[in-house]
Amino acid sequence: MTAIAQLQELYTERSKRARQLHHSGKKVIGYFCCFVPDEIITAFDMVPYRIQGSQSAPIDQADAYIEPMACPFARSCFNLALNGGYDFLDGFVAPHSCDTVERMYHIWRYYKPAPFPHFINVPHMMGPSSDEFYHKELEFFIKDLEKWSGKKLDTGKFKEAIRLYNQRRAVLRELYELRRPDPPLVSGIEITEVLVAGMGIPAAEHVELVKKFIAEAKGRLKPKAQKLPRIFLWGNEIDDIAFIKLIEESGAYVVMDDLCTGSRFFWDDVPETNDPLDGIVSRYLHTHCPRSNMPKAETRKKDLENRYGYIHRFIKEWNANGVIFYIVRYCDTCELEGPDLREYLNEMKLPVLMIEDDYSTSTIGQLRTRVQAFLEMIA
Amino acid sequence: MDEKRQAKTTAVKGTESARKVRAMVKNLYRGANEAKAQGKKVAYFMVASQYDEILRSMDVVPVPTENYAGLCAAKRDMDRFLLKAEADGYSQVLCSYTRIGLGFDSLRKDLGGVPEDAPDGGMPQPDMMLGSSSVCDPRFKWYQAAGRYMNVPTYSIDVVLPPVFTDLNEVRDHYIKYQKEQFQGLIEFLEHQTGRKMNKERLWETIRLGDEAWRLWYEIDRMRVAVPCPMPSQDHFSVMVPAYYYCGTQEAVDFYNDLYAEVKYKTENKMGVIPEEKYRILYGGGLPPWHTLWIFNYFESFGAVFVIENVYRGYDPVEVPSHVKDPVEYLAWRTFLRLTQRHEKAKANSGNPAVERLLEMVKDYHIDGVVFHACRSCRATTIGQVHIKNQLSQFTDIPMMQLVSDMVDLRDYSEAQWKTQIGAYIEALSARSA
Amino acid sequence: MPFAGIDIGSTMTKVVIVDRNGIVVASVIGPTGAEHRHLALEVMDEAIKKAGLTFEQLDFIVSTGYGRINVPFNDKQITEITCHSRSIRALFPTVRIIIDIGGQDSKGIKLDTEGKVMNFIMNDKCAAGTGRFLEVIAETLGIKLTEMGELSLKAKEYVKISNTCTVFAEHEVTTRLTDGATIPEIVAGLHEAFAGRVVNMVRNLGIEKDVVVTGGGAKNIGLVKAIEYKVGFPVLVPPEPLLTGALGAALLGRDFVARGITPERERRLEGVTFFK
Repeated sequence: MTAIAQLQELYTERSKRARQLHHSGKKVIGYFCCFVPDEIITAFDMVPYRIQGSQSAPIDQADAYIEPMACPFARSCFNLALNGGYDFLDGFVAPHSCDTVERMYHIWRYYKPAPFPHFINVPHMMGPSSDEFYHKELEFFIKDLEKWSGKKLDTGKFKEAIRLYNQRRAVLRELYELRRPDPPLVSGIEITEVLVAGMGIPAAEHVELVKKFIAEAKGRLKPKAQKLPRIFLWGNEIDDIAFIKLIEESGAYVVMDDLCTGSRFFWDDVPETNDPLDGIVSRYLHTHCPRSNMPKAETRKKDLENRYGYIHRFIKEWNANGVIFYIVRYCDTCELEGPDLREYLNEMKLPVLMIEDDYSTSTIGQLRTRVQAFLEMIA
Repeated sequence: MDEKRQAKTTAVKGTESARKVRAMVKNLYRGANEAKAQGKKVAYFMVASQYDEILRSMDVVPVPTENYAGLCAAKRDMDRFLLKAEADGYSQVLCSYTRIGLGFDSLRKDLGGVPEDAPDGGMPQPDMMLGSSSVCDPRFKWYQAAGRYMNVPTYSIDVVLPPVFTDLNEVRDHYIKYQKEQFQGLIEFLEHQTGRKMNKERLWETIRLGDEAWRLWYEIDRMRVAVPCPMPSQDHFSVMVPAYYYCGTQEAVDFYNDLYAEVKYKTENKMGVIPEEKYRILYGGGLPPWHTLWIFNYFESFGAVFVIENVYRGYDPVEVPSHVKDPVEYLAWRTFLRLTQRHEKAKANSGNPAVERLLEMVKDYHIDGVVFHACRSCRATTIGQVHIKNQLSQFTDIPMMQLVSDMVDLRDYSEAQWKTQIGAYIEALSARSA
Repeated sequence: MPFAGIDIGSTMTKVVIVDRNGIVVASVIGPTGAEHRHLALEVMDEAIKKAGLTFEQLDFIVSTGYGRINVPFNDKQITEITCHSRSIRALFPTVRIIIDIGGQDSKGIKLDTEGKVMNFIMNDKCAAGTGRFLEVIAETLGIKLTEMGELSLKAKEYVKISNTCTVFAEHEVTTRLTDGATIPEIVAGLHEAFAGRVVNMVRNLGIEKDVVVTGGGAKNIGLVKAIEYKVGFPVLVPPEPLLTGALGAALLGRDFVARGITPERERRLEGVTFFK
C-alpha cells in the first residue's frame, strides 16, 4: 500500500490506531488544540490524541448539555463523546484555549469523565511573568501525570520526545515545501489528510509515513501547469477535506495555511534547552493564535506587522495570490482578529474572502458560490 | 418617513436610591468628557477586572465601555453603533457590547468627534485602553481591535481563575504570584502614561474605600432574604454601578450607606415591591436584557418578584491574611479569594461553584423559581446555563426557565415569544403553590 | 452566432438568448421545478423555440444561479456575482455597486472603474434580507407580495420592526396590528428593516455611486425607495430585474467565444439532475 493510501485510511478511520493502542494497554490521552505539549505525554510513554469533531455528523445530543450559541467545533467534539466516540480515551486534557473550551471542559468532564482529566490554565497574556505561569502550570501537569502513572518523568525521555517531535516538525515542513512549485506537487486535500492522520497515531509512526509520502510525491509526474489561483488559508479548525476540496475543485491550489490544524500546530521547533520545559514553554506559548494577546506596538502599522509578519512571509515564500479566511461561527477571537488581518493583507493588494462557517458539510452549497465567485474575481 | 413611537421599555425601580443611579451613570461619561478637556488621563476600562482601585489611586478616569453599551440599549439607541460595526466587517454573533463599542469608535472616527445626540454625551476618545482576560476573551480582543479606529496605548492583564478540581493549597502561591505580577505590569504602564509614580498609601486608601463599599453592598443584599423582598433585581442592575464603576471612591460608600438605610427601613416595615408578592424568583444567570428591563415589571404584574440575582454579583467579603502588607499583593490575594470562594464547597458537593451559590440563594431567599437569560452573543455568561439547570434540578424541583435574547441587540428579542413563555411559567408556579 | 444564458434559481429559471451583437432575441421565465430542476430544461427549450433556433445552433451556453452545477446542456457555469456584474455594467456603465435581492439570498457586488468585480458580500444563511422574508409576512398580513410596494407608499409613518428573524418578525407584526398600526405602516416598516439590513451588509464594501438594484426585490417600489433612503441618493433599476443574471451569462458566453475559449466537454440537451 502506498503511503498516501495508508494516510488516507488513517484520515478516514482516525481513531483506529489509538483504539488498538488503548486495547493493548497503552494510555491514550485526548487533548484539544495547540497548547498541550505532545512531548510531555509522549515522555510518559503515553499516546497523545488530538480530539477532533465530525463535520458530517449532525449534532444530535449536545444541545441537551450545552447551548447552541457556542463554537460548533467544540460542540461537535462533545457530541461525538456523548455518542461514545471517545470512550477509548484514558485521559482528557484541555488547555484554556478560549471561553468555550474552558466551559466545555467542565461539562464534558461531568458527563463523560475519563480516568485522567486535567485542565492546563494557559495565560492569555504574553511576557516573562506569563511564561513563568505557564511553566508552573506544566509542572503541575507533569506532577499529575506522575501521580496517575506511578512513574516519575524521566528527563532523558523528555528530551528524546522533544527531538522526536522536532523531527516530525521538520518532516512536515519538508512536506510543505512540496507546495511551493506551480503547480504544487501535493494538493491541499492530501495535506489535510496527512495532518489529520497524524493526530491520532504515535509521532514516530507518523514521521515514517510522511517521509515515505514525500518520496512518493517527489517521484510523481509533474502535473500540467494551469496558472490557477494560489490560495493561502487562515483560520481555525479544518479537519475535514470538504472545504479544501471545494476550493481546489472550483479551480485553485491551496498552497499554504495558518490553521489550528495546519502550520500553526507544528511550524516552529522546540529549542533544546537544559531544562527541557523552558524550551517547551518558549515555543508553545508563542504559538500565533488569536486567543493569545500580543502586547501592542507603538503604531498601528508596527502592531499589524508584529502580529502578522509571519503570514506575509508565508504568502511570499509560497507565492499565494489570494487569501481565504475560514472562521468557525461564534469564534470571538478569530472574528475580532479577522478584520485586522484583512486590513493588513489588503494593504499589500492581496484579495481576501472571509468565510464564517458552521463546521458542517451541510453548508457546502452556499460556500461553493462564495468560493467560486472569489476565484472568478481574482483570476 | 418617520418612525412611529413605541411604549416604555425601561424598568420601574423598587427603591429611591436606585433612581439616583441614573445621574451617576450620566456623570460617568460627562465626567470623563470634562476630565479629558481638562487634560486628565482617561481610560477605556473593563468592569470586574479587579484593577479598579489601581486606576482610581492614580487619578486615571475610567470610561466603562461595556456599561455604555448597556446604556445605549436601555435608551434603545444602539442600532447605529451595531450597524456601523457590522458594516465594518464584524460578525453579527460577536459580543454585542463589543459591537456597540467598536461601532461607536468607528463613528467617532468618521465624524471627527462624538456622534450627535450620543446617549449621555457619548464617550471621549481615551488616552489609553485597559483590557483584561477576566471572565471572557473579547475583553482583551476588543481593545486590540479598536486600535483600528485610534492609535492609543493599550494594555491588558490576565486575571486567572483556578479550575474547581484543583488543590487550592498547592496552587495558591502560584496564582497569587502571577496575579500580582500582572497588576504590577499595569502599574508600570500607568506610571509611564501618567508620568507619576504609584503612591502605595493612596492605593491602600482607595482599597479600603472599595472594600467598604462592597461590604455594605453585601449586607444590603443579605437583607433581601426578607419576606416581602425590599429590593428587586431591576434595582440591582442600577445599584451595582457604584461598586463596579465608582469603586474606591467615597461617593460609592455614601451611596451604599443611603441604600442600606432605605432597605433596612423597608425590611423592618415589611415594605415589599408590589402589594402582593406571590412568587419569589431567582435570576439565575446571564447578562440582563438591558434593552427591556421593563420585563421585570411584566413579571411583577403576575405577582412574581425577582428577589436576588447571580450576575454582576457582588463578591462575598473575603479575609486577606494580615501578614499581607503590600497593597498590590493584597489585591492579588483578594482576587484569588474572591474567585475561589466556593471551590471547596463545590468539590465536596455539585462540582460547580455557580450551582453552589444558586443553591444557597434558593434556600436563603425562599425562592419559588429560577429564570435564566441566554444571550446569543455572550459566550461567557451563557454557555453552561443548561448544565447549571440540569445540575440544580438534582437538588431542587422548583420550576426553571431559560429566556433567550441578547443583552443589548434587540434583533434577537421577541417580546411575543417571551410573553408566551412567561405565561406558561407563571402557570407552572401557580400550580405548585396551589 | 447566438449565445444563451440560463439562470436556475431555487424557484424560477430564467433564460436569455442574445445574438452575435449581444442584443436580446428571446427571454423566458418559468418555474425551476423542485428537487431535480427538471423543469429548467423545459424553460431552455421554450426559449430556443421562441428565438426560432435549434439547440445545436447555440454557440455557447452559460448556466448560473443556485442550480448552475451539473447542467448537462451547458458549456460553462459561472456564479451569479460575475453574471450580474457583466450585464449590469453593460446596461449602466457608471455602476459601482450592485444590490441583488433574490427570493433566497441577497448580495452586494462592488465593481471597479473598469467594471471588474473587486469585492462582494452575500447573505444566504437566513431568510431575513431575502424575498422569503417579505413573502412570509405578506401571507401573515393577508396581502399579495406584488401589492406590497404600492401599499407601503400610502403610509406617512413606518412602524419599526426590530426582529431580524423572520419567525420573530411575524410575531412582532401581529403584535403591532393589535396595537393599532395600519397595514401600510407595517409594510413600510418591513421595507425599512429589510433595506436597513441589506444596505448595511453592502456598506461592508464601501458604497459609491452609482448603485443598481436588481433581482425580484427591485420590482418592489416601496423597497427600492427604502433602499434609496438608506443609501442617501437615488438608485438605478434595470428594465427587467429578473433577467440580469441570465443576460450576463449569455454575454459572458459571447465573451468566451471572442477570447477563443472552448467548452471542456460535449453538452447534451437533457434534464438537469443533482447527480453527475
